Amino acid sequence: MRLVYPWLCDLVRVPGDPDSIAAEMGLRGFEVAGVEHGRLPVIDFEITANRPDCLSHVGLAREAATIWGLPLHMPELAPASDDSRAASREPRAAVLEVDLQDADGCPRYAAQAFEVTIGSSPAWLRDRLEAAGLRPINNIVDVTNYVMLEIGQPMHAFDLDRLAGQRLVIRRARAGEPLRTLDGVERTLDAETVVIADAERPCAIGGVMGGLDSEIGASTTRIALESAYFKPTAIRRTSRRLALKTEASARFERGGDIEAPPAGIRRAAALFAQIAAGRPIGDAIDVYPAPRPPLEVRLRASRIERVLGASIGAADVRRILTALGFIVADAADAWLVKVPSYRVDVMREDDLVEEVGRHYGFGRLPMTFPVLDAPQAPPDPRVARDRTVRQVLTAAGFSESMTFAFIERQAALPFCDAGVEPAAIANPLSEKFAVLRPSLMPGLIDSCAHNRRRGRKDVRLFEIGSRFTPSGEGRAIALAWCGASNEPHWSAAARPVDFFDVKGAAELLCGAFGLVATECVTAERPYLLPGRTARLRAGADWLGELGQLLPALAESRGFPADEPIYVAEIDADRFVAAGATDALRAATLPRFPSIVRDVSIVVDEALPAAAVRGTIRSAAPPTLASVVEFDRYQGKGVPDGRVSLSLRLTFRAPDRTLTDDEAQSATEHIVEALGREHDAERR
Amino acid sequence: MPDPSSQIDALRAQFDRDLAGAAGEPAVRAVRDRYLARKGGLLTALLKNLASAPPEARPLLGRLANDLKGYITTRLAERLAEVAVSRRPAGAVDVTLPGRAPSIGHRHPLTLVREAVETIFARMGFLVIEGPELEDDYHNFEALNMPADHPARDMQDTLYLAAPVRSAAGSPATLLRTHTSGMQIRYLETHQPPVRLIAPGRVYRRDDLDLSHTPMFTQVEGLVVGERVTLADLKGTLFAFLHELFGQERGVRFRPSFFPYTEPSAEVDITCSACGGPGNPATATCGLCKRTGWLEILGSGMVHPAVFEAVGYDPERYTGFAFGMGIERAAILKWGVEDIRLFYENDLRFLEQFPL
Repeated sequence: MRLVYPWLCDLVRVPGDPDSIAAEMGLRGFEVAGVEHGRLPVIDFEITANRPDCLSHVGLAREAATIWGLPLHMPELAPASDDSRAASREPRAAVLEVDLQDADGCPRYAAQAFEVTIGSSPAWLRDRLEAAGLRPINNIVDVTNYVMLEIGQPMHAFDLDRLAGQRLVIRRARAGEPLRTLDGVERTLDAETVVIADAERPCAIGGVMGGLDSEIGASTTRIALESAYFKPTAIRRTSRRLALKTEASARFERGGDIEAPPAGIRRAAALFAQIAAGRPIGDAIDVYPAPRPPLEVRLRASRIERVLGASIGAADVRRILTALGFIVADAADAWLVKVPSYRVDVMREDDLVEEVGRHYGFGRLPMTFPVLDAPQAPPDPRVARDRTVRQVLTAAGFSESMTFAFIERQAALPFCDAGVEPAAIANPLSEKFAVLRPSLMPGLIDSCAHNRRRGRKDVRLFEIGSRFTPSGEGRAIALAWCGASNEPHWSAAARPVDFFDVKGAAELLCGAFGLVATECVTAERPYLLPGRTARLRAGADWLGELGQLLPALAESRGFPADEPIYVAEIDADRFVAAGATDALRAATLPRFPSIVRDVSIVVDEALPAAAVRGTIRSAAPPTLASVVEFDRYQGKGVPDGRVSLSLRLTFRAPDRTLTDDEAQSATEHIVEALGREHDAERR
Repeated sequence: MPDPSSQIDALRAQFDRDLAGAAGEPAVRAVRDRYLARKGGLLTALLKNLASAPPEARPLLGRLANDLKGYITTRLAERLAEVAVSRRPAGAVDVTLPGRAPSIGHRHPLTLVREAVETIFARMGFLVIEGPELEDDYHNFEALNMPADHPARDMQDTLYLAAPVRSAAGSPATLLRTHTSGMQIRYLETHQPPVRLIAPGRVYRRDDLDLSHTPMFTQVEGLVVGERVTLADLKGTLFAFLHELFGQERGVRFRPSFFPYTEPSAEVDITCSACGGPGNPATATCGLCKRTGWLEILGSGMVHPAVFEAVGYDPERYTGFAFGMGIERAAILKWGVEDIRLFYENDLRFLEQFPL
């Protein structure tokens, strides 16, 4: 709302320049978008949705009058013409008839016919409109706009002689009824739309925009001036459906002043007289079938103190509310406050508390601290989980990234199961943000590509975030690793990242949540390279998947196909269930020494290490404490298709020192079993 | 023949110069050999020459020469001990070469701010809760005093789902939450006062990507409900929080505003980080705060009685306050980040600037 400073000064003699006025009003709930120091200075306020009354100079002047304790000089109104009609008992022929059929969509409709002389407005009027941001058109339209900016009441002037039957019918449109609006657009109306029609067809979309056919122009001599109140939700629906926002619709949809329509006519009449643009003919019309009594709200001093935390004197409360236009009466233990019709935002006691607090000044409120009256509940375990994830993964060299939860459909499809569509957004910003991500990997891959394009080859990223699969919204942790597996250093060449790097990182993460016995199982995924793809599980629970990203997929996201990216994604929701460490009991440390035996065997190269480990475990006595692969060799001395595997076996008993003989016979037994089960030869 | 005593003085002076010029163990040993060698040592030669001095001068010259020999021997021993310390032992490394840094990653700057906020509020006794990012219309709008067709819905342009999706709360969701208030409603529905919590998380609005907008961003909202909670409590809490997050020297102000779910509502500003706040000469031309000296940082207010009614709390018995802050905005103001999109590009050069 552009407040024209001299216009404000007509209404209330504010004690300061535009900057100081703006600064003070900014502290009363009217945010200042800017102050312009032109010939007519302007303060541009951002009016919040609850204060349609302040989309007018009078509304803001009333606030200023309250701030500085000054009188508000209301604009001059023409006398109500009801008096003249009462004097002459002769019924006059109606110049204009109003037929209010839709009192739900339009609870009040005032109108008046005028004889007019179309011309241009005087300079002072044009200047004020322009300063307020409206283009002057002609003296009649300019006055309607002036009244709207001044008292907040939108008005519309029809060319009376272009209204069939000189009638205005307020009704709902018939579905499909056409209307060409003032902006020249041919619109098709639906049965929800409130229209102002003449005897034959719609002439305006009520509260939104007039029609082109009844527009006033140079040849107009008589007008029908409309000043009405429309139901906010009806205007809002129509404005949204037609994607048509106007000065009028902005005011009506937030809530007009139901008492203002006659005042709008009388103010326009006074201005027409002042600038010699026209004079009223016929009766003033005001159709208001169900008058609304003013709202009365009880306000307790105790409630003010309870909500604001400050005690405000009764005199201050009365002064503030009265200056804002409320009528305050004393009652037992409270005030009875009549709410003025323009304050559509005030509906209950706390709304009045806000008015008192606002003009008492938030800056004057004391600063206290809410009393803690109960111990706090333990924190959401997911918050602690995410902190642990960050701790572990940053310690492993991964930096945390954040990517959007919506992605391109094309980028999402490889991560959806066959035949499953990603969840789509109904009104996406663009194709790039069309669907909810089924996985965090696409975002991380794009981030790797972003870094790679900027010359950064060694990238380790992770993200904790939501993903959206057919089973719904869930939390996941994803890793992406490309380039070197270690930090570059003069002492050794960098080793490119491989499967076991990302597997190790995933295991480290699972281990942090007590899932130490995880295992990888060969798998296939449409986005991972066959042969370097695994699913990770702990017992019977599937935790996630990992492997090398399909090079073609990397390439499609702008990443070089010949540089591998390894990725992993783990279901974070599994960690909350598994993360409880309350059950932990510290283990007693072994009291007796262990014996180590190294065994090297040659087996088929396709034999999984897990199978070897399994055979060892089942063949070994309970004294086998651990099995670790420490070398894997193919080449000279090992037949083609075979591989040499070296294992370190550690034996230990909890209650005595093992003898060499015991370890030796256990080892022999294990080697025999390996030979039997896997055709393993000892080297 | 020159005067023997001045010869002795000259040799002492020459020795001092030679020793001072000898750096490192080999050079010091060379000085020792030059003066003390049995064959051709300068001091050895001098002592031999003394034999040709007149007999009456010999005792004095002999004493002087012996003093010089003692001096040279002592100084050499001292210097050798000094240089021995700097001798490179076997297996020595060049300690000036770069070290092998263990890999360590960085937390995201938005996480740093979020965790700082969580820590401050946790110390004030606030519970941290998380909730679903997909919401239904009731929890995102209706329960917050924003029924369908409420004009305030325009303030938060919403992204809707083409078809309902099961949210993390297990209920069918129709939209991407525009704020984290929905989970506060969920909390109130299932708990009784007193309530004192913050709810951080990602939120979504239909905003085009530009320097200061992203369609997804991070918010932290707070809620306190009890029998004696006031607007003055809100003011005290937020001032303490902002002073801790942005520094005690930062100016903070509290002014009325409007949100459908609070009454009264307030916005909170902090003094501008670029110009230093109102009253500074730089404020007159400051682009960051649009020449006001103040930057908006928080929205807040007393919980609207209609919200309490929606969750079945008696608004006569309970009052409460709520607030919300954008984490991106806080990070931008804290560190002077020029483009909000940097938070979502994950350029390591950007991420690695922030503390571990």
